[in-house]
Amino acid sequence: MSGIIERSSDWFERYLVPPLSTLASNIYLQAVRDAFIIFTLPLIIAGSLFLIVANPPFPFLADLVSPYQYAILVPFQLSFGLMALFLAFGVAYSLAQYRRTEPVQPGVLAMVLFLVASVPVTDLTTLRIGDILPYLGGQGLLVAILIGIMTTEVMRWFRGSRFTIRLPKSVPKNVTRAFEALIPTFLLLLLVWGLEWFVSSHTASVDGKDVQLTLPILLMQVFKPLVAVQDSYPAALAEIVLMMLLWSVGIHGMNIVTAIAAPFWFTTLASNATGGHGIVTEPFFHIFAHLGGSGATWPLVIYMLRSRSAQLRTVGKIALGPAIFNINEPVTFGVPMALNPLMMIPFVLVPVTIVTINYFVFAVGLVHVPIVIQPFTVPLGISGFVATGGDIKGSLLQFFDLAVSALIYYPFFRAWERILVAREEDASQREAVEVPTPVKVELG
Amino acid sequence: MIRVLIVCSWGMSTSLLVDSMLAAAQEYQYELIVEALSAGEYLEKVEACDVVLIAPQIRHLRKSIEKLASSVGKPVAMIEPFHYATMNGRAVLEQVLRLLPRNTQEGKTAT
Repeated sequence: MSGIIERSSDWFERYLVPPLSTLASNIYLQAVRDAFIIFTLPLIIAGSLFLIVANPPFPFLADLVSPYQYAILVPFQLSFGLMALFLAFGVAYSLAQYRRTEPVQPGVLAMVLFLVASVPVTDLTTLRIGDILPYLGGQGLLVAILIGIMTTEVMRWFRGSRFTIRLPKSVPKNVTRAFEALIPTFLLLLLVWGLEWFVSSHTASVDGKDVQLTLPILLMQVFKPLVAVQDSYPAALAEIVLMMLLWSVGIHGMNIVTAIAAPFWFTTLASNATGGHGIVTEPFFHIFAHLGGSGATWPLVIYMLRSRSAQLRTVGKIALGPAIFNINEPVTFGVPMALNPLMMIPFVLVPVTIVTINYFVFAVGLVHVPIVIQPFTVPLGISGFVATGGDIKGSLLQFFDLAVSALIYYPFFRAWERILVAREEDASQREAVEVPTPVKVELG
Repeated sequence: MIRVLIVCSWGMSTSLLVDSMLAAAQEYQYELIVEALSAGEYLEKVEACDVVLIAPQIRHLRKSIEKLASSVGKPVAMIEPFHYATMNGRAVLEQVLRLLPRNTQEGKTAT
């Protein structure tokens, strides 16, 4: 058994790790991921709270707040509702950090360019803010990402090229920097404005109304079918498998898949917040699949606490506290799950089973679809209730999934425990007869 | 004083290790500063640290981190996955001490 385990580890290391690593270390994916996590998520979470207050789960409360609903929604609309605007800043800023250039200038410029791209070229005094608001939020994410990347790359290119304004060395650095940015800023503004003017000389039919076309409306026509494809069972399955394969070789899977899928998740979630019925969103994974951390390893922690293996008991004790907050690196690297061909099987199988169950539960409407984003560290039980905007069946679903996880993990846990106990006994016996070679517990 | 920079993904689990390292440092009477930053944030801080450590879950970034760290002459290493899992601050601190060039180690007692 141990022999097989070591041989397959080598195989993973040679054939599975390199392509996954290449994908994971892509600089654009990292920048988009950071932009979502660092720049937009706090605003989205805070804004969500207002959404819950505006739509309380209990009828008598709903009646109470309904006259003030429009007012309570204002902070939601101007935080959660403007996520694409902040995302444009975040993508440009994060990418500049990875490119090791000054990040604030491209960040601010990307926001301006995003606004220019989202507002039709018209007499702005007659424009209703409500008409463009959706495109500054959930429906403008793709435009925001493209503009963020473009801004940083163009500014970086100009900084290194001869088409930049150069000042004598005696001029203070900050002054030089402002002048350096002038030409790319002006050119980018000209480009996006020109493009938008051309685009908005056409009209489009949105929800049965003829409106002036804008770049977000145009791109949404292309993006919408993709969003629909992503919000499906095969896509959910592909995403969870990729996440868990990455974790199986010890790479942060959620982190990498978020970078690819976040634009879709947040578009779907924003549409849920305004009455849509999308399923495959960020909470679908973080809150409903990764119970106790990626791989739904909560039950393993409980098993480990009373294990016959000293290694597993040690890991179990350390893993208990973090597990409450859905952090499971102690489990992943301590059991270990990563690069352990035996434990990798349930490590992929459990989340896949849970995702399958949950997808159909949400699809048939047994539990309200997720509408609220919260930090992934919110403990199990509470998080399911909050994510669904106050559906207690959300918590019950989490506990049902937990039982499924406990059941599937059990036989694998026992088998792994037997291997470890045998190794530990072996080691202590060898120590007893004082074999001078140092013995350490081999990890798969 | 020893300044350690740990590069990780979101800093959630690494913060537990940081606490454990600080406790170990106090026990051994080392003056220690540990900062856990994501792969996007650490870039600017590399020059202002003595040792760079890489958390196991971002090993796919190992090469690029090693390249950057060695370009500014900082020692860099992966944290042992099992030490990371068990939040073994003492073992990681020992790893840091092994990585440090001798003069830095002597310098820290003076500060």
